[in-house]
Amino acid sequence: MTTATAKPSLGDRWSKAWTRDRRRIIVAAVVAALLVIGLGGLDPEDWFVTIMRGLATGAITFLVASGLSLILGLMDVLNLAHGELFMLGAYLGWTAYIRPDTTVDLLAPILITIAPFALWALWRPLGRKVAALGSRWAGWLLVAVGLGGWWWAWRLFPLAIWDPSVYAESPITFSLAFDIGTLVPLPAGTFGGPALIAVLAMLVAASIAAVGLVSFNPTGSPRPSAKGIGASIVALAAGLSILAWREGLVEGLFAMNPTLRFFLAGIVSVIVISAIGAGVEVALIRPLYDRPIYQLMITLGFGFILIELVREVWGRPEFTMPKPPAFNGIGEGCPGQGIGDLFSGCSTIEMFGARIRTYNELFIVGIGIIVLVGVSLLIKRTRIGMVIRAGVQDRHMVEALGVNVRVVFMGVFAMGAGLAALGGVLAGPSIGLSPEMGGRLLLSALIALAIGGLTSFPGAAVGAVLVGILQQIIIRYGQTGIPLPWLEEPFKPSPPLVPASTVLLMIVILLVLPNGLLGKAEH
Amino acid sequence: MSLLSLEAVNTHIGQYHILQGVDLEVGAGEIVAMLGRNGAGKTTTLKTIMGLHPRTGGTVTFDGEEIGELRPYEVASLGIGYVPENRAIFADLSVEENLRIAERERGDLARSIDFIHDLFPDLARLAELPGTSLSGGQQQMLAVARALVPENRLLLIDEPSEGLAPVIIEQMMEAIRSISSDTTVLLVEQNFVVASRLAQQYVILEEGRSVAGGAMADLVDDDETINRYLGAG
Repeated sequence: MTTATAKPSLGDRWSKAWTRDRRRIIVAAVVAALLVIGLGGLDPEDWFVTIMRGLATGAITFLVASGLSLILGLMDVLNLAHGELFMLGAYLGWTAYIRPDTTVDLLAPILITIAPFALWALWRPLGRKVAALGSRWAGWLLVAVGLGGWWWAWRLFPLAIWDPSVYAESPITFSLAFDIGTLVPLPAGTFGGPALIAVLAMLVAASIAAVGLVSFNPTGSPRPSAKGIGASIVALAAGLSILAWREGLVEGLFAMNPTLRFFLAGIVSVIVISAIGAGVEVALIRPLYDRPIYQLMITLGFGFILIELVREVWGRPEFTMPKPPAFNGIGEGCPGQGIGDLFSGCSTIEMFGARIRTYNELFIVGIGIIVLVGVSLLIKRTRIGMVIRAGVQDRHMVEALGVNVRVVFMGVFAMGAGLAALGGVLAGPSIGLSPEMGGRLLLSALIALAIGGLTSFPGAAVGAVLVGILQQIIIRYGQTGIPLPWLEEPFKPSPPLVPASTVLLMIVILLVLPNGLLGKAEH
Repeated sequence: MSLLSLEAVNTHIGQYHILQGVDLEVGAGEIVAMLGRNGAGKTTTLKTIMGLHPRTGGTVTFDGEEIGELRPYEVASLGIGYVPENRAIFADLSVEENLRIAERERGDLARSIDFIHDLFPDLARLAELPGTSLSGGQQQMLAVARALVPENRLLLIDEPSEGLAPVIIEQMMEAIRSISSDTTVLLVEQNFVVASRLAQQYVILEEGRSVAGGAMADLVDDDETINRYLGAG
């Protein structure tokens, strides 16, 4: 380093920051003061609990908001189905956790379906021929034929699936049984015909759908990359091996430590939802990059479809997802004392005179912090992160430098969806599962983004934490009441005031800082 | 045989028919200057070669291979570097990262960094600074340097002298000359003095068509062509 770039002193930096960001600093100070005043009205032993609950709500909100923010920043796409991906993530997590047999049965056809799609470039010559017919309907027809054939093949696969209309087989019953400590296997299914035909039909149907999708934009080399071929072979081999060794796999998963299975369920859910995210980007978003309004409509509609699909498969009523046993212990030695007892197996521990739930308030917050740090490092330190930062500004130039931006877009979309799924799995045991859980969280996440600055990743974290803590403060006051001099009874904020208060915070912040706390001015 | 050739290239942007038949040849090792008034289609021609605007007719051939159907990243991977008119320096990346992002293979930057720093000593000093803090001249240097990171066989350089001080223009010309000793250059340049001192060949565009071309040495003495296609009005 030469003298020209010598480090300025702390005082210099502060005065520079003051002239540049005066408004932000004042707003941050005012918000912080308001939070302190809000907490000050509570009993001292409530502060800590309320803050921890706020951080937990904030962590879940952040997991949804961060993906939204990355996708919005890089691709200018507001994915209104993001809340539903969160919701579906929770349901898939529940399934992998409580119904390992069904999960194993589902994996095989899904992996087999992925195999032809991984050979994307291979379909370009065919796609070009379809495109040459001159009508987009030809492509859509192939997609429809592919989906139809896929559905037919799907019905041939053996699936141990529950019947939500039978109480003994409903997710509610399974959750209750798990809490008592039992996990009853469903009867294993059998192929609805020759297995070979089912597998081949699924491969062919997926290939037809892939050609249809490729035909919408068939430019590019017809040679699949080595990675694509590798992924295709791995997916096919994995799908076939799962079919072959189903029984052993299911037995192993049933015998597994339930807490470990919970983590495994999280991983499965994140991977599957990431793949769905990638598929959404390719099939729904990519053809519409020049039409932002259509993207809003299609993601909104896709979200509604997911909600109905979940109602169809998992049944209507809400149900809970049992907590992993490592965070659900009661009885001797519980509650634990201090943070050192986090992994003692107790469901609660005493900290600063308050009783904190280990899963809800400590584990979730911990994962939120890990994701925040991990994704920040990814963005700041890795080549992918560099490409994302550059692509936010000028994706055409990034592509002209030799980067396949489409793959990066797909990857970021998949990553955003995966983060939402992680949030869903984590939220399942604390807020319960319902088809509407995604819509509520999407609203919180959008408000958090607006507060933090739409495309700023740290902004998403700050906004989410503010929204979470504010919500929890209002909820707490709803229980204790605020004594107001002109009212005889203390004023108790009703539940609808919880989201309303976050909207109010957003309005006030946006009036002073139209780009949010950490956002950059729009170009 | 020429390294890059365009035949009857047509490009539409939205409903506008911008390129209506561009022919041009760039021989290996040459510097070719593309000249013409504002709006003649010079920048669009470069973007069409890069695949940034989809070509609607004609052929683009690079090193004997038709590249008109390829996506921008595939075109770039064939060894074509692009220095755009607005420089497109990434503001959120440091100077060093602005170079690193152009790597096509690991080690590209390590291989080329000494050459880049010889050409533009300023960039070595500025390596850690964010892209936004550069002056116009430094941004132009960085944009050219970025195209030198991977092993490119052809550089498309759009208006390298635009808005720069005369001293910096001299430095830029010097740099382009030394690049051209082993890289072919297709240059868009409004400043005729700069173009005539750098290029061996020229092509003139008017209203989306290539209307004249040949050896730069002949054009310098051809006042009639200069006045007709490049003069004011």
